[in-house]
Amino acid sequence: MFLKRQMPAIIAIGVGLFILFGHFINNPNIQGFVNNDATQWFDIIASFAIFLGALNMLKLQVVKVVKRSKGWQYSLLAIFGFAFAIFAGFFFRGANYITLTEINPHKVNILVEYISTIQEVDDPVLMASRIEGSLASYEIPKIFISKATAESFAVSLSSIANNVTLGVKPWGAHVQIKGSLFSWMFFKIFTPLSSTMFALLAFFVASASYRAFRIRNFEATLLLVSGIILMIGRVPVGELVPWWLVSTLIVFGIGALIAPFIPNKKLLFGIIIGGITLSSGIGVLLDWNLAVNIPGFLSLPNISEWIFDYPTAAGSRAIMIGIALGTIATSFRIILGIEKPF
Amino acid sequence: MNNKLLVICASTLIVILTYWVTYGFWFITGNAPTFVGIIIVSATIFYYIDAAKSGKEIYLRPISGLKAIEEAVGRATEMGKSVLFVPGISDMDQVDTVAGINILGHVAEITAKYETELNVPTCRAIVMESARESCRESYLRAGRPDLYYDDMVHYISDDQFAYAAGVNGIMIREKPAACFYQGKFYAESLLLAETGNSIGAIQIAGTGSASQIPFFVTACDYTLIGEEFFAASAYLSNKPELIGSIKGQDIVKLMVMILMTGIFVLDIFRQMGLIDFNILILLGLN
Repeated sequence: MFLKRQMPAIIAIGVGLFILFGHFINNPNIQGFVNNDATQWFDIIASFAIFLGALNMLKLQVVKVVKRSKGWQYSLLAIFGFAFAIFAGFFFRGANYITLTEINPHKVNILVEYISTIQEVDDPVLMASRIEGSLASYEIPKIFISKATAESFAVSLSSIANNVTLGVKPWGAHVQIKGSLFSWMFFKIFTPLSSTMFALLAFFVASASYRAFRIRNFEATLLLVSGIILMIGRVPVGELVPWWLVSTLIVFGIGALIAPFIPNKKLLFGIIIGGITLSSGIGVLLDWNLAVNIPGFLSLPNISEWIFDYPTAAGSRAIMIGIALGTIATSFRIILGIEKPF
Repeated sequence: MNNKLLVICASTLIVILTYWVTYGFWFITGNAPTFVGIIIVSATIFYYIDAAKSGKEIYLRPISGLKAIEEAVGRATEMGKSVLFVPGISDMDQVDTVAGINILGHVAEITAKYETELNVPTCRAIVMESARESCRESYLRAGRPDLYYDDMVHYISDDQFAYAAGVNGIMIREKPAACFYQGKFYAESLLLAETGNSIGAIQIAGTGSASQIPFFVTACDYTLIGEEFFAASAYLSNKPELIGSIKGQDIVKLMVMILMTGIFVLDIFRQMGLIDFNILILLGLN
């Protein structure tokens, strides 16, 4: 019971206090532990814990397939993907390369032509000069997943150099080298799938914005207006919106705000028309057609910048302060052992 | 002023004075405001925890998102569907995740009482283990350890979008009636919340990631914003020591507001030439 209940609490409280005050104590060993060792310990523990996660994932998927649960076919795909990644990472390097030694200097251009048949060469002249610089030993800048492909290509190069040797990149390096089986899996399967998920955000943002911007009440209207101003103000076309259009929109906005207090619609209409005429008249008199004369509040980029710098910043800072205090209070509760999530 | 408050104030003062006297010798230079801030905040929270423990009545404003947790689980029970709890994509080194796991404990207790299925997909193996501990405890507390099984908390993937795809798949296939998003979230927040919205689930979100709050507000029924999220587990537990820490947190917030206003006014006075010292430099903030 002690090991299960009190021990974790003692470790959490002890380490918590030590790390917290370690930030302030003037001792290089403590500083080193707090800034480097502690985070490395966490990384090591997390690395071992991944086995737990992977085994759990695999177990659940296998059980699903065995029991033929709903959607078991997806589990089959998950198991296959898992097995393939393990195979490409631990059992099959798929990173063969060819090295040419004592290249015939007269056949450098032929070699460049050969290389261009297996991979795109942006600048043949540059490649030729590179090969000429390392005639004694040159590694073909292409990784072959299969050994057979590498061998067949090596045979075609036998007339160009005295010695053509095949090699395999070392374990560990094979997961980082472009062109290996692991990197093929990463860049051709994993990255497109991740990008697809990320790209879905565009559609979700559209549907979420539609719901948020629907005019239901004053707050939603404010959000809609601010959103439109920000969107237009942050793109180049925003600078082209003329001052009279912005002033008219401002008059409309003021009209919308005062509308509930003026029951007489004709009077309201008159006020709005009067406002538009007045603002336009002032603009013409003060020569706002000249860009230098336009007041800042009639430029959409300026308005959007103001919204971003003041109301948005104020709101987000209020939330940030709350989050910071919440973080401190939660940490305090955990360090003192008042709250135990473990 | 009561005796306990005097003792706490005196202790705080002694710690700060010790720090000041040994500054540069025992303690490193350059982060004095942080140290003083931590000591004052800790002392304030400690005082209110102690006050709550000794029976002082503490009022907490109602938070609709927290009141809706039981309602959401109840709805799932009535519909005969499961409850999905997503504890975010960060590891246990983030306070958000810890706060999320704390809330999971309360949700699990309700699902145990209502005999509703709970599904907790995790993104990190350590989070999986912590969440399992938390759920096991809750089912035990609710008197239903028989309903608990380890696989209700399971691992999907460490990768952000693979995890999002996995959770979305669970939502589409199992159509849970209630979805909870409590933890640290990044770009996947909207992917999850919109999918949850499309299946008609009642959704309650809470996060300390300020940039994700707008997405949750848009797509979820209830969102715990900022400190509400961190106060949630204390609020739900009804334990005086935890509630006291929320009160302490609020008092610190008041102190921060007073400090900000004071600094603002003093800086204005300095700029007007009414005073000749710079408060920002004095506090080491500039």
